[in-house]
Amino acid sequence: MKIRKIAAAALAAVLSLTALSACGSNNAQDDAHPQSISFWYYDLPTAAQTEAWKRAADQFTQQTGVKVKFEVKSFTQIAQNSSQFLDSNQAPDIMESNRGNGSAGMLSSMELLSDLKPYVKKYGWDKKITKADASIAKYDDMGIMSGTKWVGLPNYAEYQRVYYNKTMFDKYGIKIPTTMAEFEQACQEFKSHGITPIAADAQEYGVMWLWWSLVGTKADKRFIDDWQMYRHDVNWNAEPLTYATNTINDWVKKGYISRSATGLKAEDTTNSFIKGNEYPIYQTGTWNQSRFIAQIKNFDWTAAALPGTKMLQGCTGNLLTIPTKSHHKDLAAKLLNNVLSVENQDGIGNAGGIPLAADMSKINNVKNREMIREYSQYSQKGDLSYYPDYPASNLTDDISAQFQELVNGTETPKQVLDALHKSYDTGVVDMGFKD
Amino acid sequence: MSEATISTTAMGSAKSSESKTAQVSHKAKHIRSWGDWLALILLIAGALVMLFPIIILAMNAFKTIGDYNATGPLSLPAHPTMSGIVSFWKMSDFPVKLGNSLLISLIVAVLGVVLSVLNSFALGIGKVKGNRWIILAIMLANMMPQEALLFPLYTMFKHIGLYNTQWAIVVIFTIIQSAYGTYLLSSVYGTFPQAILEAATIDGASRWTVLRKVVLPISWSTISVLFVFFFVWTWNEYMIPMAFLMDDNVQTVPLALATLQGQHTMDATTLAAASLLSIIPTIIFFIIFQRKLNQGIVAGAVK
Repeated sequence: MKIRKIAAAALAAVLSLTALSACGSNNAQDDAHPQSISFWYYDLPTAAQTEAWKRAADQFTQQTGVKVKFEVKSFTQIAQNSSQFLDSNQAPDIMESNRGNGSAGMLSSMELLSDLKPYVKKYGWDKKITKADASIAKYDDMGIMSGTKWVGLPNYAEYQRVYYNKTMFDKYGIKIPTTMAEFEQACQEFKSHGITPIAADAQEYGVMWLWWSLVGTKADKRFIDDWQMYRHDVNWNAEPLTYATNTINDWVKKGYISRSATGLKAEDTTNSFIKGNEYPIYQTGTWNQSRFIAQIKNFDWTAAALPGTKMLQGCTGNLLTIPTKSHHKDLAAKLLNNVLSVENQDGIGNAGGIPLAADMSKINNVKNREMIREYSQYSQKGDLSYYPDYPASNLTDDISAQFQELVNGTETPKQVLDALHKSYDTGVVDMGFKD
Repeated sequence: MSEATISTTAMGSAKSSESKTAQVSHKAKHIRSWGDWLALILLIAGALVMLFPIIILAMNAFKTIGDYNATGPLSLPAHPTMSGIVSFWKMSDFPVKLGNSLLISLIVAVLGVVLSVLNSFALGIGKVKGNRWIILAIMLANMMPQEALLFPLYTMFKHIGLYNTQWAIVVIFTIIQSAYGTYLLSSVYGTFPQAILEAATIDGASRWTVLRKVVLPISWSTISVLFVFFFVWTWNEYMIPMAFLMDDNVQTVPLALATLQGQHTMDATTLAAASLLSIIPTIIFFIIFQRKLNQGIVAGAVK
C-alpha cells in the first residue's frame, strides 16, 4: 500500500513539474523594452573580437538601458546543436556562428537565421563590408555563399600566415624568403643544420592548411569558385591540386615536415614555436598573432602569407547572426551596428585581430598594422581561397585524415587526391547541393 | 579520466583492506609469500600508471602560461599560481555548474537504484513470465548509441516543455542507468537462494517485507556499487547534456569545461586547472560513499 502512495506522490510531483515548466517556456513575447538581450558566443574571452563585442555591448546598454547577457558556449555545442535550440523558444537574440555553407549557410536554408537585409540598408553595413568580405555573409536559398540573403554580420577577419623565427634565421645566416624558391632553399639549409624547419600538425588541421595555401599559390579565382561555390565540376587533375599534394609529399620526404607530425596537435606546434628553439617556420591562423605578441619574449619574429600566394587562405571571421526566433531583433541589430563602429573596429586591430572597417592610423602595433594591410590587399581584390573544407561538412575530418596518411607515408599523393575526390563528391551530394 | 581515478582509488582501498587482513594473518602465520609481494608491487605500479594523468593535470593546473610555454607539460611549475583555477571559477560561474551536476547526478543515482531494485525484484525474484525478453527490451536503452536517441528525445522533451531543463537529463539518465542496473541486479536476484525466500514467506512476510528485510540487506553491496557508478557516469556525461542544456544556469561541469576549448585556440593551463577542479567532487563523493556503503555491507552481512 505504502509503495503505491509513494509512487502516486512521485508521479504527481513529476507531472506538476512538467506543467510548471511548460507554462514557463511559453511566456516569451515580443518586447520592445526587455530587461536584457542574450548573446551567445564561443571565442575565448581574450580574443580581439570578444573584447570588441563586450565594449559594443557596454555602449549599447548606455544607449538603450537594456543589458546584454553574454553566455559562452563550447564551439561543438553551437556547431552541433544549433539547429535544435534555434528551433525552440530558447533561442538567443544574437549568436556567433561559424561561416561557410556547412554551418551558417545550412542554418539559413533551414530558416533559423533572420535575413539582415533591412538592417544592412538601415545602417549602411554594405558600405563598410564589401566584396570578398561580404560574400561570406550572404547565402542563397540553398545555403551556398555569395548569395543575396544577409545571414550574419562579419566584423573581423582571419587568415593563414607563415610566422618566421627571425632570430633562428639570423643565427644560421638564412634570409627570410620572399619567393617559393627561396622558401624551399631556406628549408633545405635548416635541414642541413639538422633542424626540421616547418612546424605542422597532422592530427588537426596544420598540414591541411599548408596544403590549401600551396593550392592558393597556383589557383585562380575560377578554380576557387568551382571548389567553393560548385560553379563547375572541380578539375582534379588541375595543377593547383597536383602541385600542392606533391609538394607536401616532397617536403615530408626531404624532412622539412617531420613524419612525427601525425602525433601533433595545433597546441603542440604553437607551443613549440613560442619556445623559440625548435622550429623556425610555422604557418598558422592569425588568431595566434595576439598570443605571439604577448607570449614570445626570447626571439624576434616576422610574418607574411606563404610566398607566391595568389589566393589567400582565410576570410572574414565568424558571423554574428540574429536567430529567427529572437524576440528582440531590432535591439540586436542596434548592438551589431555598434560592433562595426570605427572605435570598436580599431579596438579589434589593436588587440591583435583584423578589423574590417578600421582607421589604420589608429592601429598602434606595427606588426598588427602589417597584418591588416596584407589581408586587405587580398580581400579588396576578392582573392581569397577561404578554407578547403567549406564545401561540405564531412571534408573537415576527411581532408585532415588523408593528410595524416600522406605524412605517415601510407598513401601516395595520387591516392590522397583520389580519396579526396570521392569524399568531396559524396559530401556535396549529401549536403543537397548536387544530385 | 575520472574512471581511471576510481579504479585507482578502488585499488587503493582494496590494497588497504588487503594489508589489514595481511596484518591479521601476519600475527597468526608469519608468512607472506613471494606471490603477495609480487602482487603488491604490480598493484603499486598499476596505481602509478592510473595516477599519471592526474599528476600531469595537477602539475599544469598551477602553472603560468609562460611557464608552460617554456618547459612544456612534463615539468613541475616554476612559479605556482592559482590564477587558472580562479579564472575558470569566475568565468564559468562554477558553483552553479557544480550545483547542477550534483543535483542531476544525485537524483539520477537515487532514482536509478530504486528503479533497478524494483524492476529486478519483479524480474529476478518474482520471475515474471518472459522476463528475459523484458530485460532485453530494457537493455535497448543501453545498447542504442546515444547519437540515435538524440533526435527522438529532443522532439519528445521539446513537446512536453522540458527541453533546456535539468529534468530532461534526470529522466533520460534515470532510464539509461536503471536499464543497466536492472540487467545486473535481476541476474543477481535470479540466483537468490529460494530457501530463504520460502522461509520468509512461511513466517508470514508480505512481498514488500521480503524485499525490505531479506533481499535488500543481502544485495546491499551490489546496490552500493551501482549507486556510485550511476553517480559518476552521470556526472561525466557529455553528449546528451550538451544537446539538451543550453542556458548557462542549467549547464553541468563537463559542459563548462568544454567552453575552454575554442574553435582553434585553447588555454592549456586553464584547461588543466578546470579539469582538476571538475574531478575533485567525484573523488570526494567516491571516498565518502565508499566508506559509508562498506559499513552498510558489513551491517547487512551480520544480520
